[in-house]
Amino acid sequence: MRAGPSQEEIRRHNLGALLRHVHLSGPTSRAELTNRMGLNRSTIMALTADLTAAGLVREELPRETRRAGRPSLVVRPESARVYVFAFDVGVDRLVAARVGLGGTILDRRETVRRRGPFSLDDVVGPLAAFARQMHRKTRPDTVCVGIAAAFSGGVDRGDGVVRFGPNMGSVDVPFGEELARRLGLGLPVSVGNDANLGALAEHTRGVGVGCRDLIYLHGDVGIGGGVIVNGALLGGHRGFGGEVGHMVVNPGGRPCGCGSLGCLEAEVGERALLEAAGRFGAFAPQPRDGSQPWAGAAFRDDERSGGDARLADGGRPADPADGARSGETAPPGDAARPGDGSPVPAGSSPPAGSPPPADSGGALVGRDAVRAVVDAADRGDIVAQAALSRVGDWLGLGVANLVNIFNPEMVVFGGMLREVYLGAAAQVRSRLATDALSPAREHLRLRTSALGDDATLVGAAELAFTKVLADPLEVLARGS
Amino acid sequence: MTPVLELRGIDKSFGPVQVLHDVALTVRAGEVTALVGDNGAGKSTLVKCVGGIHPIDSGEYLFEGKPVHVHSPREAAALGIEIVYQDLALCDNLDIVQNMFLGRENKRGLVLDEDTMEEMAARTLASLSVKTVKSIRQHVSSLSGGQRQTVAIAKAVLWNSKVVILDEPTAALGVAQTAQVLELVRRLADQGLAVVLISHNMNDVFAVSDRIAALYLGRMAAQVKTSDVTHSQVVELITSGRSGDLGLTNGVPA
Repeated sequence: MRAGPSQEEIRRHNLGALLRHVHLSGPTSRAELTNRMGLNRSTIMALTADLTAAGLVREELPRETRRAGRPSLVVRPESARVYVFAFDVGVDRLVAARVGLGGTILDRRETVRRRGPFSLDDVVGPLAAFARQMHRKTRPDTVCVGIAAAFSGGVDRGDGVVRFGPNMGSVDVPFGEELARRLGLGLPVSVGNDANLGALAEHTRGVGVGCRDLIYLHGDVGIGGGVIVNGALLGGHRGFGGEVGHMVVNPGGRPCGCGSLGCLEAEVGERALLEAAGRFGAFAPQPRDGSQPWAGAAFRDDERSGGDARLADGGRPADPADGARSGETAPPGDAARPGDGSPVPAGSSPPAGSPPPADSGGALVGRDAVRAVVDAADRGDIVAQAALSRVGDWLGLGVANLVNIFNPEMVVFGGMLREVYLGAAAQVRSRLATDALSPAREHLRLRTSALGDDATLVGAAELAFTKVLADPLEVLARGS
Repeated sequence: MTPVLELRGIDKSFGPVQVLHDVALTVRAGEVTALVGDNGAGKSTLVKCVGGIHPIDSGEYLFEGKPVHVHSPREAAALGIEIVYQDLALCDNLDIVQNMFLGRENKRGLVLDEDTMEEMAARTLASLSVKTVKSIRQHVSSLSGGQRQTVAIAKAVLWNSKVVILDEPTAALGVAQTAQVLELVRRLADQGLAVVLISHNMNDVFAVSDRIAALYLGRMAAQVKTSDVTHSQVVELITSGRSGDLGLTNGVPA
């Protein structure tokens, strides 16, 4: 039995806590740190001296003070010297960044990932090349203290293996190990689920700062989630927790990539929206009989006004021909988009495995396609409006379930769900008003991501910083 | 908590036409209150009464719990009430800083204190996380619709205002800019301001509002929490003045 933490453990903890403060809040005066950490001034001074000697922080005179007396020194993170590599593996994009202590993105590279069968080499190759390019540009006195990646898939907490990624087509991929080998920096690569890391990012640096119970919903092609309960990420037994996209909301509903039917992701994901809007034609077969696959879905709110959320446009003649046309052609505003004017190979379904035309001709996919639907709905396209309202309804049902189970203070919509929420908020909140328990929804705040497309990347950087924040001196001693 | 702004029993007539009947409105700090209603329901008149453009015929006007009399836009501004009208009232031939301080320029002696104004403008835009504007010395004529809206909103919050009223801020904006403006509206309230949002777009209303006040033919049909109502209920309140238990019964609030 132990008699409480040792002197050394307390010091290590305090060093980490101080560094975390400066890392998250930016330059902070010693006086302020004394206040916030509840330690006395000489302790703060000793801690900053240690961190300064290690090259993790720097102390400076503040630029201007309006108060009398000797100004308190400002402790700022050595952002240019101490950095991590952060990677984000999404379905449509690969991002690598060098992020300095304090969360400054010092350098970043991004490339388009083509959809198709998963190949570890096609993902790790470009990321490792980006990292090497960025590493070559660093000054000799800089030090890399961690590497982490956000991956669109379920990651085993035990060994960092990506166990499933239905939207990436990846199964049992030792992604972290392979990336670490290719980087050859002598550091392991931590891997986390992208939505989990997005939740952490919004919690520490985004819209959810100061919020202890938060759910982040990330829309890529599918829907991911990260649940923060009392300030900590809910990972579950092996780290697969928070897969809210595979919560079944519509038994027997649309088929999901995971093999089930009617998952939230199958009803709300990119494909559901694009199919409902009649814009999912380029690389998947149309429904065989042309009927809507969701026709059997029961809608409780029957009197709802057909998704026409724009009251002022209520009097606009609903020209069905117009609606049908706009399902096939791009809205006028999008005519300038490259590759949009070319005809879509009607009804053709290329053999499995051929890359979708993400950046060649044909229909839009990914975020651009989702934005185009929201844009069309805003311009009065009734097909797009109906699609968005349908998807919004399912999204509201999913959120209502989560609110009833977790009673979060905030739900954050990130990735493509930002656009979907803003474009279908009436449906989402109507569903919440009817399906979520009233005490649970009363103080609920619904917000869009403050970090936007970088949420998952920022989350990966935070994961990479975990070790140095837990034990600053040890990690630095090893790194240099 | 005392509401920042509270109106009770407001009546307003233009000659023989009574536009507002016994209107009550409560606006709280840290919240977005959406003011909705059909064309001609009295939204603009109500806002102009709040802003001191139209005098009210009768009724109580309470600001931070104290009865006040607002007779001009300047008096409303002195209380901390700013209104961003649909036309934005920005001058195309002036830059962002000049627009934000138009009519209220800081002076150092006889000359304008450009440095302080520039710094204040920059700080306000930064506090609103506005990243889309390249330079604050850019002429407003070179800005996009969304950027103009942002500048107009920043102008309204520059003066330590407590209530910001936005008249259709997302009308005529594209989807990307609408999203940015909606997020800005939400941020204003999250920073502690009381925001009144006038909008016809139910998605915008539901996306950012905490409460919805529905006007129907010059009467306040209902003021409800957004988390308690559905889209169809709000549409009913707007179009018929009542929805189930909510709204007006024989023309008077339930």
